[in-house]
Amino acid sequence: MNHLWIQLILVVAAVAMALLFVRRWDAANTRAWKRIAFALFVIANVVAILWPSGVTKLATALGVGRGTDLVLYLMVIAMGFLTLNTYLRFRSLEKKLTDLARTVAITEGVRHNSDRLDTPVGSDH
Amino acid sequence: MSEYDNVWLVIPAYNEGQVIAEVVEGARKTFPNIVVVDDGCTDDTAQHVMTTGAHLVRHPVNLGQGAALQTGLKYALEQEGAEYFATFDADGQHQTADVEKMVALLREGEADIVLGSRFIEQTGQVPWIKRVVLRTAAAVSPTARKLKLTDAHNGLRVMNREAASRIKITMNGMAHASEIVSFLAGSDLRVAEVPVDILYTDYSRAKGQSLINGVNILFDISLRERNRR
Repeated sequence: MNHLWIQLILVVAAVAMALLFVRRWDAANTRAWKRIAFALFVIANVVAILWPSGVTKLATALGVGRGTDLVLYLMVIAMGFLTLNTYLRFRSLEKKLTDLARTVAITEGVRHNSDRLDTPVGSDH
Repeated sequence: MSEYDNVWLVIPAYNEGQVIAEVVEGARKTFPNIVVVDDGCTDDTAQHVMTTGAHLVRHPVNLGQGAALQTGLKYALEQEGAEYFATFDADGQHQTADVEKMVALLREGEADIVLGSRFIEQTGQVPWIKRVVLRTAAAVSPTARKLKLTDAHNGLRVMNREAASRIKITMNGMAHASEIVSFLAGSDLRVAEVPVDILYTDYSRAKGQSLINGVNILFDISLRERNRR
């Protein structure tokens, strides 16, 4: 049996994940690719539901024995991307939260400290 | 007026209510300008700081020591006449005498930033397991090697305005120490290292980071590159 196709797909997916990890994730074209991937996912769902034997046929063509196995492989890939996406989203949220909290802390600090210590406290550089 | 009017001590604090007032008052005998960053403490740290003459900046939520340092530096940079900036631990393990020594070095104009090291002179105070781990960390870190540092994770640093305004700590957690070192290695700032005494009291030992946390630090660092926009 020819395993080449499925191997190619899985390796490409892994490399793509690594690339996304080190490159900018929230760039506009990355977002577009995510949407395309989602659309393909929906279409694949509908096709698989209406034509179950098609999944097995595709799996065989790609060098995977059963349709179930192909679905499992794709799920692992999807899961990987999802985890990565969530992680990077959290990182970017954390950065925003930090900037916000820092601004609040300093603004409040300047106000309170100049009252409490009775000295002028700078903040306008 | 004191000769240290243009020096600002930045003290990040997370639940240090037990000792913070004592540490701040002790340091204020030498350094009149201190800003304590309350990193979203759940204890009475802020109340204790308010009994002292130190400035207080409060993070509304807990963000981590790296974030607290960056906030403190930003605040201090905005203060009139501030020329030298020291990062100082809240748990009382740093000595003001060391800060004086480091400020003197900066004033000579020989360096832009002076880092404290526990290992230049063997003081015998560092617990041996910590010594092995920290020395290994300094030895395997390419950036620490480049700068010929003996201790890449010392919290005591003194820098001039140039260095303080260029350092941007993005690692909120404990990985900021390595982040600062690698930033310095990639910059043209002049870095010096001086021996400092660290008091490992029972309190600081209990509060100090555990060695297993080194795993977290390594993980954070490995991801840092992509977050540097």
